[in-house]
Amino acid sequence: MDQKEQDTNLDTFPKLLASHVKLRPTQDAIREKDLGIWQSWTWAEAAAEIRALACGLATLGLKRGDKLAIIGDNRPRLYWGMTAAQALGAVPVPLYQDAVADEMAYVLDNADVKIALVEDQEQVDKMLEVRDRCPNVEHVIFDDTRGLRHYEQEFLHDFETVQQAGVAYDHDHSDFYDREVATGKGSDVSIMLYTSGTTGNPKGVVLSNDNVIITARNGIIRENLTSKEEVLAYLPMAWVGDNLFSYAQSYVAGFCVSCPEDATTAASDLREIGPTYYFAPPRVYENMLTQVMIRMEDAAEIKRKLFNYFMEHARKVGVRILNREPVSLKDSLLYKLGDVLVYGPLKDVLGLRRTRLAYTAGEAIGPEIFDFYRSLGINIKQLYGQTECMVFICVQPDGEVYADTVGTPAIDVEIKIDDNGEIIYRSPGVFREYYKNPESTASTKTEDGWVHTGDAGFFDEHNGHLKIIDRAKDVGKLNDGTLFAPKYIENKLKFFSFVKEAVLFGDGRDYSTAFINIDLDAVGNWAERRNLAYSGYIDLANLEEVYQLIKDCVDKVNKDLSEDSRLANSQIRRFLILHKELDADDGELTRTRKVRRSFVGDRYDTLVESLYSDKTECHVETQVTFEDGRTGSLAADVQIRDAEVFKVNSVNQEAAA
Amino acid sequence: MLFFIEVTLSGMMAGVMYSLVALGFVLIFKASGIFNFAQGVMALFAALTLVGLMEKFNFPIWLAIIGTIVVMIALAWLIERIMLRHLVNQEPIILFMATLGLAYVLEGMGDILWGSDVKVLDLGIPQGASDWMLDSFDIYIEKLEIFAAVTAAIMVAFLAVFFQKTRIGRALRAVADDHQAALSVGISLHTIWVIVWSVAGIVALVAGIMWGSKSGVQFSLSLIALKALPVLILGGFTSVPGAIIGGLIIGVGEKIAEVYLGPFVGGAIENWFAYMLALAFLLFRPQGLFGEKIIERV
Amino acid sequence: MNQQSSPETILAVENISLSFGVMKVLDSISFDIRRGEIRSIIGPNGAGKSSMLNVINGFYHPQEGSITFKGETRKQMAPHVAANHGIARTFQNIALFKGMSTLDNIMTGRNLKMKTNLFWQALHIGPARVEELENREAAEKIIDFLGIQAIRKKPVGKLPYGLQKRVELGRALAAEPELLLLDEPMAGMNSEEKEDMCRFVLDVNSEFGTTIALIEHDMGVVMDLSDRVLVLDYGKQLADGVPDEVRNNQDVIDAYLGVPHEH
Repeated sequence: MDQKEQDTNLDTFPKLLASHVKLRPTQDAIREKDLGIWQSWTWAEAAAEIRALACGLATLGLKRGDKLAIIGDNRPRLYWGMTAAQALGAVPVPLYQDAVADEMAYVLDNADVKIALVEDQEQVDKMLEVRDRCPNVEHVIFDDTRGLRHYEQEFLHDFETVQQAGVAYDHDHSDFYDREVATGKGSDVSIMLYTSGTTGNPKGVVLSNDNVIITARNGIIRENLTSKEEVLAYLPMAWVGDNLFSYAQSYVAGFCVSCPEDATTAASDLREIGPTYYFAPPRVYENMLTQVMIRMEDAAEIKRKLFNYFMEHARKVGVRILNREPVSLKDSLLYKLGDVLVYGPLKDVLGLRRTRLAYTAGEAIGPEIFDFYRSLGINIKQLYGQTECMVFICVQPDGEVYADTVGTPAIDVEIKIDDNGEIIYRSPGVFREYYKNPESTASTKTEDGWVHTGDAGFFDEHNGHLKIIDRAKDVGKLNDGTLFAPKYIENKLKFFSFVKEAVLFGDGRDYSTAFINIDLDAVGNWAERRNLAYSGYIDLANLEEVYQLIKDCVDKVNKDLSEDSRLANSQIRRFLILHKELDADDGELTRTRKVRRSFVGDRYDTLVESLYSDKTECHVETQVTFEDGRTGSLAADVQIRDAEVFKVNSVNQEAAA
Repeated sequence: MLFFIEVTLSGMMAGVMYSLVALGFVLIFKASGIFNFAQGVMALFAALTLVGLMEKFNFPIWLAIIGTIVVMIALAWLIERIMLRHLVNQEPIILFMATLGLAYVLEGMGDILWGSDVKVLDLGIPQGASDWMLDSFDIYIEKLEIFAAVTAAIMVAFLAVFFQKTRIGRALRAVADDHQAALSVGISLHTIWVIVWSVAGIVALVAGIMWGSKSGVQFSLSLIALKALPVLILGGFTSVPGAIIGGLIIGVGEKIAEVYLGPFVGGAIENWFAYMLALAFLLFRPQGLFGEKIIERV
Repeated sequence: MNQQSSPETILAVENISLSFGVMKVLDSISFDIRRGEIRSIIGPNGAGKSSMLNVINGFYHPQEGSITFKGETRKQMAPHVAANHGIARTFQNIALFKGMSTLDNIMTGRNLKMKTNLFWQALHIGPARVEELENREAAEKIIDFLGIQAIRKKPVGKLPYGLQKRVELGRALAAEPELLLLDEPMAGMNSEEKEDMCRFVLDVNSEFGTTIALIEHDMGVVMDLSDRVLVLDYGKQLADGVPDEVRNNQDVIDAYLGVPHEH
């Protein structure tokens, strides 16, 4: 049967729940590790819990259209809270659990939250702290009773007490729950997710049941997911990704979701569950890889040699095998041997042995990290998404996975690039509005449903995949009109381990130039292996050999840029290696270590001007803040180099040649 | 090649005996930090008691074994009462001297109680070569040796589970790790010592039976304790698997050395090979193969 | 914190004097601990604080004086008697079973709660197995309480200092003690770890009603947590009372706090 047709009348989560109780009552719906043991609830058991909770919430006065805040780590009871609220036609509003009380107060107030369902004492304390500011919050329900025995406020309720009241209510009004569920429809508001918002206050993205369920189902269809998947729910419940992967898709496909014991045990719980379907932001994959490398450094000689040998082989053929491209019999056999000796055990350690599909998104992932996992045979793919459309905009198709693109449009998604290079899209997942914020809604979403992503990008000429280059507002133009996407080029530079930071200049100029910060560890190591003497960062940064090393990196980036006719003119003409490391204490980086480009440009304006002159050296003096807080001055002669510039090498010319 | 396998196997079987004695050492050393010089004599004493009970009192085998176990437990209790209790917190050298004394007391006691003549220990353990091994692989091995190896394996598996999975096992490890902390959770050192010495006594009994069945119960039995010393240096004083593997290495090593190198140096390598190996280990890896490198946090 | 409803005295020490040779470590100390309170002992290094705890749990045997615990008066304690009657403790210089896992350390803390004999234990079947599982659950609850699930199977010797302190607290809690002696539970911790540990001490006190005797150097912590504070100085009793009294006691200020607090 066609899945699309089969499910059209299942247009809300409580209805989906009821269908699973019929279809697979004894299959596990959700699991949680508690006291060292995996506890599980079947779909039938989960449905009973949800029914009791929903009725209990009704006794506390939760009605159609009311908001239920959900705050805590991934716990079955909190997920049930979502469905229970939806059963009553109320709207769950998950909050980031590690936000401080003040930040929560804003959302609780803005969303008109009536009842808050929270995990534990820590969250209850925050609710008490902001209670004066949020008079709309009438009740607080807590899951874990620990430490709360002596809290006597009347508006605090133990989860189980609420459920007991619910069971009693259900007993007296046995048709209540079913009637409420039947009243719900696809166009009702399903959930409100607050986007963290880099500027200003967070905005509540209002999504309907249709938005969420249709998008979730399209994702399932595209990737052939089934009710047999295993998923670990370990990312914040307030984040749209968790809501999609651990909630919406689980309800649509009917697969089981496992909640880790604790945030700190996620890695070992991952190993025990062995998910088949997995999402992680790039930094998680990065950390895993680093852990592996550190462990291999400490491993015995033989083990390390074996590892290096087979990893080298995997680099050579692994990705091609994963893409089902033909490889020689010898390579294929050797890869199989490697799977037994190295790749398999390694994937076991990572918890990814059974993983059929792994997604990553959020920021650019280093190509070597990406390839490492793919060469092991883990089908890791990038996707591009937003809260405003329940995640899916683009996904990399199987067998067409490139580190620098985010793939092709997801099912039912239309994408356009507007004149400024900004990506806009339209899909069934497009949100209704920002809650109580018509201005933002109007500036983001057009009358006919197109949404501005705020990202600049273009479709790759070679493979038709979407490439994200930067935030649209950060993209500028060179004097000749060429698109100038500084972050895109900076990231390309930073993928070289020798480059720690890069700062690009070029908006409103004739050509692009770059400041480079070398990575003291990586370059220092490289220099030591070549017996190059140096006495510190400044010294090292000034070495002729190091300049040559960095020039190679810049040249490679230029070669890359020349592949695309739209970016070819933004190749880096001149660069310099900065005499000091950019430092948050000097205001050059944000506290989250992002470069403040314009500040750096102003601070080192003499250097910038030299880049746009024909000087090969520039004297500079800088005020610096030392670690102990004292300030001093740093003087240096910085050398400036030309990089190699390549001819445009787009598809058309290749074809002509 | 077959000859080589035969030599190796027979070395292994001898090694099992060393392992058993070393095991007794390790148990006591782990739990109380005492180097028990009397472990060899305990093996002798246990074997003597067993033979004595069978010969003088006409006990059947099973009753004699149970009787001997009871005697060994009583002995452990006495040792704790009379000796250890009064030596708490003394220097290791003093405790070692005490076990030296204990060795002589036990030897004397055995002599007085059961006489000093060489006794034959016949528990009905099959003697002679294993026909099956001889027929199928053309390898000569004594049945007794196979029996000893299997018994030792069972005992080690049993001890491993006991140590890892039970309360008393944990208490034993706790005492080995930190006396004060063990006291603070209500573990009684006295009880633990009695248990450890009892277990060591039973291990000694097994070693005594094996060795005694092979070459008769005589006072030279106590000298295998000296062979246990290099085993301990190899395996580490605190490691149960170390004792086992150390014993096997020494057993096999000395047999191979004797057979293949013996002719060139005029034989008798077996007598000193173990000590040379131990010496080499002391130079290059003093903590032994499995000994814990003690990590101190500052 | 303080359960006013039950002012029953759980422990009283009277005129305790302890010397090692000519060195007098404790000189005629008397004080009591009430059931359910958090009682701190403070004083400069060498004041005899740890010695006092060692007397209470029976590691040291005082030459003079008596100890009354739960109504029974003794000249001195023995460690296993103290443990048997519900006194558990942690140590200033962490005394964990370093070679064992976190779980095994905590299970060992339940030593006294497990009764099956050597015979069943040796076979690892029957009652011993049932008991093992029951106690495993109790141990898991403590692991959950202290939030140390991630290190359940790790050997404690390799854990960072702050976590070792936590495991040691877990081992003491495993005995379900009535009186918990904590010897500088926050020494050497960073402020975040200290905050966590304070939280645990308060939670133990309020959740399980455990009486706590605490030695601590961080005055902020002591004044915040304690119901009453005893001040020792070179083996002598300098002051005893609620935090405010102690803070304003001139002898204490002179000897210990140094600078008088501003008011």
